[in-house]
This record gives sequence, structure tokens and C-alpha cells, in this order.
Amino acid sequence: MSTTTGDKSQRISMLKVLNPFHIWALGVGIVLVGEFMGWNFSVAKGGAYGSLIACWVIGLLYTCVAMIDSEVTSTVAAAGGQYTQAKHIIGPLMAFNVGLYLVMAYTMLEAADALIVGDLMKSAAETFGHANLDTKPFVVLTIAFLAWLNYRGVFTTLTLNFVITFVAFIAILVLFLAVEPANPGAVLKHKELLTDLPYGWIGVVASLQFGMWYYLGIEGTCQAAEEVRSAGRAIPLGTMGGMMTLLVAASLTWYICAGLMPWQYLGQAVTPLYDAGTLVGSTKLQLLLFVATAFAAIASANGCINDASRAWFSLGRDRYMPVFFGAIHPKYRTPYRSIIFLVPIAVSFAFTGLLDQVITFSILSGLLGYTFMSINVVKFRKMWPLGSIHRGYIHPFHPIPAITLLILCSATYFATFLGYGNSLLSILAFYILASIWFSVRRYKFVKRADQFTMPWPRPKGY
Amino acid sequence: MDLWDMLSSAAWVISAALLIWIVKDAISVSQQYDEEFLMSSREGDE
Amino acid sequence: MTKQYEPPKQSWFGQIFDSLFVLALVYLSLMLPLLFKTKEAASAAAGAAAEVVKPTWESLQLSPVVQEQWEKLGYDAEKAAALINTRFDYTIDPTWLAITAVVLIGYFVFMLKVSDKEYREVIAEKFGK
Repeated sequence: MSTTTGDKSQRISMLKVLNPFHIWALGVGIVLVGEFMGWNFSVAKGGAYGSLIACWVIGLLYTCVAMIDSEVTSTVAAAGGQYTQAKHIIGPLMAFNVGLYLVMAYTMLEAADALIVGDLMKSAAETFGHANLDTKPFVVLTIAFLAWLNYRGVFTTLTLNFVITFVAFIAILVLFLAVEPANPGAVLKHKELLTDLPYGWIGVVASLQFGMWYYLGIEGTCQAAEEVRSAGRAIPLGTMGGMMTLLVAASLTWYICAGLMPWQYLGQAVTPLYDAGTLVGSTKLQLLLFVATAFAAIASANGCINDASRAWFSLGRDRYMPVFFGAIHPKYRTPYRSIIFLVPIAVSFAFTGLLDQVITFSILSGLLGYTFMSINVVKFRKMWPLGSIHRGYIHPFHPIPAITLLILCSATYFATFLGYGNSLLSILAFYILASIWFSVRRYKFVKRADQFTMPWPRPKGY
Repeated sequence: MDLWDMLSSAAWVISAALLIWIVKDAISVSQQYDEEFLMSSREGDE
Repeated sequence: MTKQYEPPKQSWFGQIFDSLFVLALVYLSLMLPLLFKTKEAASAAAGAAAEVVKPTWESLQLSPVVQEQWEKLGYDAEKAAALINTRFDYTIDPTWLAITAVVLIGYFVFMLKVSDKEYREVIAEKFGK
């Protein structure tokens, strides 16, 4: 149903214009920046081999996430994504928390992405002889431009994301070819550079935390459910395709970097893939990697604005948050008030100077969301067994993916405890306080039966 | 004032222009349309 | 059909207050770990002061290939040594581990319990008792 007039009997809705490629671009776009920077901190935690193990173990975690998410989303197609799933399957307080995980994870990641663009401008200026360039205007410009783009419509936003994400992905492939993978020892020195696990297996566990960088955000694809032409088909297709792209990109990235840099350097590098390009010694390659790093950061921030605003919008539409944010732009059909509201917040996160904290908060919010998914899918299958409602996609081997996911999440919590124990507790304190606040103060503004919008029969056992 | 300083200033100006445009548009939408209509979307509508 | 719950309408002021309240909570939890960090940094600085011997490539005992890669990255022996000698401390404090686990599990149990109660209300209103 769609309309542009102000008639009260008619309803406004978002535009259904996206296809599977947009979904791929949304998912991979958010994540790919993690291959250009961030994943390598896992090398510092557990050595190069530790990071590779983390890459695959966390890859398994995300494969479970993608499988579970595809099934539930192909059934629950709404802008809130996992938030709407929680509302229909577990209950309001869980839904409120999941909504907050989404908004926090994406807005904080957006802030970090914008900072990267600022830092890249600074290093470019340094190369051309201008020291100490102020990064602030470029950080703000990144956020402002992408917010403007998001405000003006989802189709252009995600089409742009497709183009720049694709370029960034191709850059990784080009770099891979340039390091002569068929001729080991010429450029790549794996034999000499790879060492035994420097901290033993505890280091491997610790590296799981930053191993999440390889894939963090791929689950954001289901935030587009209300805007794709055929949610049941496009979302599983785009998400699974995205996951495969990321597994390839992650393995290649590790292979290139581990063969070029000593692990102690790699573990603290700010832009490891760009450094790899520099080490190969071609100016063209260096330039390509510079552009690709910038594109990856911009694509990620762009996708984050898209996802965070949809999550905040859905919270508003159900009155979990002020109803004011539940508005849709009559011309561009975007959740425009949520987009505006999150701009100053993203900027303020970027300027706190607490990048470490902000990123930990983002990763942990994601992790809490995955923990929820494992509980969610078990309840979903119990309350609406196969055959009782139409599912666009049914994931195989249930409940093995759910159990695997829960175990891997626990291991990653332990990893976070090892590296960022204080942050873990303070972030949990935030979600606990917010939950109490929601139960005591906010929930009274929420209409009860209206929250359940799916055309499903009564759940079993309720 | 070199190229990079000019780029910085330009970045500030463009950011401000974009943000002002967004806010102005949002205000004019609120004035032109009924609040009920703007918030009339329903989850799961086809 | 059960009686529908009619929520009160929220004032503009209330809406703004609620949005800001959540934000304030976020900033608070971002700042909180800083209190611990300053203490740790002070004790770490005291430990670092003990090292005085200036490292060379020979004292680091790297293979020629590895040394070459370090040099390509623009590192001299001293700077490389600073990175090579930084090590993480993975000692586990069982008390803190237990506290963290209890808080995490408690959070999920609390959330699932309250959600279940609220969910039954939703279902009862939607489908009737």
C-alpha cells in the first residue's frame, strides 16, 4: 500500500525497490572495512595462526547466524529485523534490548568508520607535505553526506554501496594476484614470518574477540526486509552470498598480510592491507588500496546509518521509544526523523576520543544479539513447528547451528573478558539499567496486542 | 592557506549545507503533512 | 475478547526526556571503564621504566628475512623491539570471572523471564484467553 497524499484513510509505507544485489551490498558493505583494518588486532592477541583459527571459528559462528537469520527473516519480514523477530517470538523486553543492540552496534561502528576516513585524509595530507591536518571536518562530512544520501532514498544509497563495496572487494583480489601466490617465497615469506602460537591456546581464544571483525554486521541484511521486492528470496540469497564473499575475503586478507609482515607489527597496524600494498612496492597498488580502504569505510558507515535508523524507527513505531521517530518521509519514504536524530549521536561518539571503548561496545552489542538468535530460533521452531506457517527458507540440521552458536558466543564472551573485562561489565550494566527503565517507565506507553503484526496462528504453549 | 586548509573549510561548509537542508526539509514535511499520516506505516503491510 | 489495554499518550517533553535519558546512560557506560584504566596505566608505567639496555638487530635474534621486512616497514631495531617485547597478560582472576559470568547469565535470565510475562499478555489480548 502506498500513497503520497495526506488522506487519513491511506497509509504510508517504505518503498519496495531493493533486489538481492542491494542486500549483498548492505551486508558486505558494512563488514568489508573489517578486512582493511581491525581484524589484525586478533594477530596481537594470539599470533598469526591464532588469528587464522579465529577467522574460521568465527566464520562458523557467522554461518550459523546467517542460516538462522535467513529462516526467521524469510518469515518475519519487517524493518526492525531481529528486533521484530524478538517481539514476535520472545517478548517485549527482549525486543527492546535487541533494538538497542542494533542501534548501538551500528551507530558506534559508523562513528569508527568516519574516524577512519578522517585518518586517511590526514595521512594523505602528510604524504603531500601537510602535517597535522585536522580530521574533524572530514569525519563530520562523511557522516553528513551519508545521512543526506540515506535521507533521500534507499535505492540510491544501496546502489552506491554496491559500487564502492565491489571496488573494495576487487582491490583485495588484485592485491592477492600482485603478491604472486603461485610463487611462494618471491613476495610472500610465510615460511620465515609464521611462528608458533606465541601465547598458546589461550591466545587463540583471546583472538576470537577481534576475529569478529572479519564478519561483524553481516546480519544487518534483514533490516532491509520492508524495502526489498521479495523478502523471502532476496534476503537469504543476499546474506548467504555475502557470507561466502566474506569468507573468501577474510582468508585472502590473512594470507597476504601474514606473508608480508612480522606478526608483532601486524597486530598493531592501523591499515594492514594498505601497508601490504606499500610493501609490494607499486605506487599504483598503493593508490588502489588507499582508495579501497576509504571506500570500505564509507560503505560501512553508509550501511550502518541505514540499519541503525531502521532499528530506531521500528522502536519508535511500536512506542518502545518515542513515537515521534516512527515517521516516514512522504516523498523519499525513509525513516527520516531517525536518520536525523542519529547524526549528532554518531558525531559525538566519534569525538569522544574513546575509540577503543566505542568499538568494544559495538562488538559486544553484536555478540549479545547473536546470543539472542540462538535462543530465538529454538523457541521459534517450538512455538510454530515446521508446516504450521509459511517459511521462505528452512535451515538444515536444527538444532545443531543454534547450539554451536551459543557455545561460540560463550567462548567469545570469555575472550572479551580476557581483553576488556571492565568494558564488558560496564556495557552489561548499561543494558541492565536500560531494561529496568524500560519495564518500569517505557512499557506503559506500548499497545499490547498491536505489537503482534504477523498473520500467524496462536503460538504453541501460550 | 594551502590546498588542505581549503579542503577542510570546504568540508565544514558542505557538511553544514547538507545538514541544514535535511533539517529544513524535515520541518517543512512536518508542516505540510498530518502527523497521523506520517506515522501511519504498519509493520508487515504488503 | 479480553479488555484492551489503552496506553496513555506521551507529552512532547516526555518524549524528548526519554530519548536523552538513554543517551546519557550510553555515555556513562562508555566513560565508566576509564576510571579503572588510569589506575592500570600508572602501574604499567612503573614497570616499563626498568628496561635500559638498548636493543640491536643482533640482540633480537631475528632471521634475515624477518629483519628485512621490519626494515621495509621503516622500523629500526629499537622501535621493533618495543613491539616485539610487548606482551599481553592472560592471567585469569577467578573472582572477576565468576562475577562476570553471574552478571551475564543473570541478565539473560531476567530478560527472558520478564519478556515471557509480557509476551503472555500480548498473546492473551491478540488471540483472546
